Amino acid sequence: MILYLLTVVLLILIAPILLSYIKATKMVLFFKRPISLMQGYRNFTKLLKKETIISEETSAITRYAPFLVLSPLLVTVFFLPPIVGGAYYVSFVDAFTITGLISLSTFFLMILGLDSASAFGGMGSSRESFISALVEPAMVLTIFSVSLMADNLGVGQAGVNLVAHFPKEHMASYLFAGISFFILLIAENGRIPVDNTETHLELTMVHEAMILDLTGVYLAIIETASSIKFVIFASLFASLFMPFGLEFIAPIAFVIFVLKLFIIATAVAIFEVNTAKLRIFKIPNLLGLAIVFAFLSLITFYVLGA
Amino acid sequence: MVDFLIGLFLASLIAALFTTRLYGLLFWYSMNSLMLGLLALGIGINIDDKAMLLTGVVTILIKAIGIPYVLKNLSHKFNFARQIVSGIKMQYSIMLVPIILVFTFYLSVPIVDMIHTNANYVAISISSLFLSLLLIMEHSDVVPKIIGFLALENSLFLLGTTATNGMPMLVELGIFFDLLMAIVVINLLFHKEEMKI
Repeated sequence: MILYLLTVVLLILIAPILLSYIKATKMVLFFKRPISLMQGYRNFTKLLKKETIISEETSAITRYAPFLVLSPLLVTVFFLPPIVGGAYYVSFVDAFTITGLISLSTFFLMILGLDSASAFGGMGSSRESFISALVEPAMVLTIFSVSLMADNLGVGQAGVNLVAHFPKEHMASYLFAGISFFILLIAENGRIPVDNTETHLELTMVHEAMILDLTGVYLAIIETASSIKFVIFASLFASLFMPFGLEFIAPIAFVIFVLKLFIIATAVAIFEVNTAKLRIFKIPNLLGLAIVFAFLSLITFYVLGA
Repeated sequence: MVDFLIGLFLASLIAALFTTRLYGLLFWYSMNSLMLGLLALGIGINIDDKAMLLTGVVTILIKAIGIPYVLKNLSHKFNFARQIVSGIKMQYSIMLVPIILVFTFYLSVPIVDMIHTNANYVAISISSLFLSLLLIMEHSDVVPKIIGFLALENSLFLLGTTATNGMPMLVELGIFFDLLMAIVVINLLFHKEEMKI
């Protein structure tokens, strides 16, 4: 139980560092002086100190929604596969629950965007709903197919089973699921081909448009939520597609897991540097590719057993 | 390991189907051929076949490095448009690709009963055959058509390598010379395309 709680705390604490790390890696690749890895924490404390201003046009939703955006994600963190062997984990939560919780959080984010009563908010919400509607089927299919390969529909149990028995005989479908999940990781977290989190230009904004009106504590909460969303996806990727390192004793297993998270973050940063932002109407093509790969993974597993 | 490489082979072909950039297409073709060469090397080490090792090395040298390089140089020389437009809408290809895959996967079931080999090798090589035909069909430019032809040849090679544990060396060398001839012909085609513009 103590290891389980330690895992949850570790994931929550490392979340802002990972996002700062991606940004720092990108700056190094652009030959700029990188920001510190603690920048996420610095922003957080700075925002906590700032005054919180709420627009007169908004209703009570603006005051409640940031917490409702964060809480489903925090619940999801408790359902992730274990990162240390012998730790407590929740075994019965399946692909639908995790996708549902993440979409619940997205739903409140969209409500928040609509409630801000500015043209930007509504535009951002409409784009976000457009993207998340395309992400969901692919995500359910991908996690479902990996869970089938691991012989258990529960995501936590699947992660444990994958470590115990690596699916060598299903390598092809495993690979397709991995490709699909990586595209989803990028799309759902608003990384570059889909959304650019660093600009405030109306043409490129999706995520930033919805939270443009927020200040102070609420903005800090939303930023924490987006970093936790990234850590959920990265941790799912690490447990389901890099299944090793669970058999070591706790400190080594933690270090291995953190290394895996940083490898994923590096991959995302390199991918971001090498691609340009897609037009909004080209995004269905990218996500269609994810759906094709997810479906392909499932059908390869069923028909060929490969 | 072989399954993994076959998966990458199919994945790179699908990525080539969905790309809209000429150089991206060449890159994915090169990846496709690289996977094929590594696959031949892997199988060659497994069954200890010297000819297969040689084929693998030649595949990597010619198909993964040589042909994409030549094609890139040629398309640079003749100033081809770097954006390739698919004749079929992307949404329809997103529907078509899974349909083709499901169809060919079920098609391979009776074939595997006849020849005793691993089902997924036959299935994936036949499906990549169909996918490269789709690549030829959906583009009207000359370079994607050529890449489609080359990918067609790759998938036949995959079928030969995996299903029958390697064709005779002579046949494979013949195919390579065929390809070189094809590149010469392609060069002529490019000249013709240039004159049209």
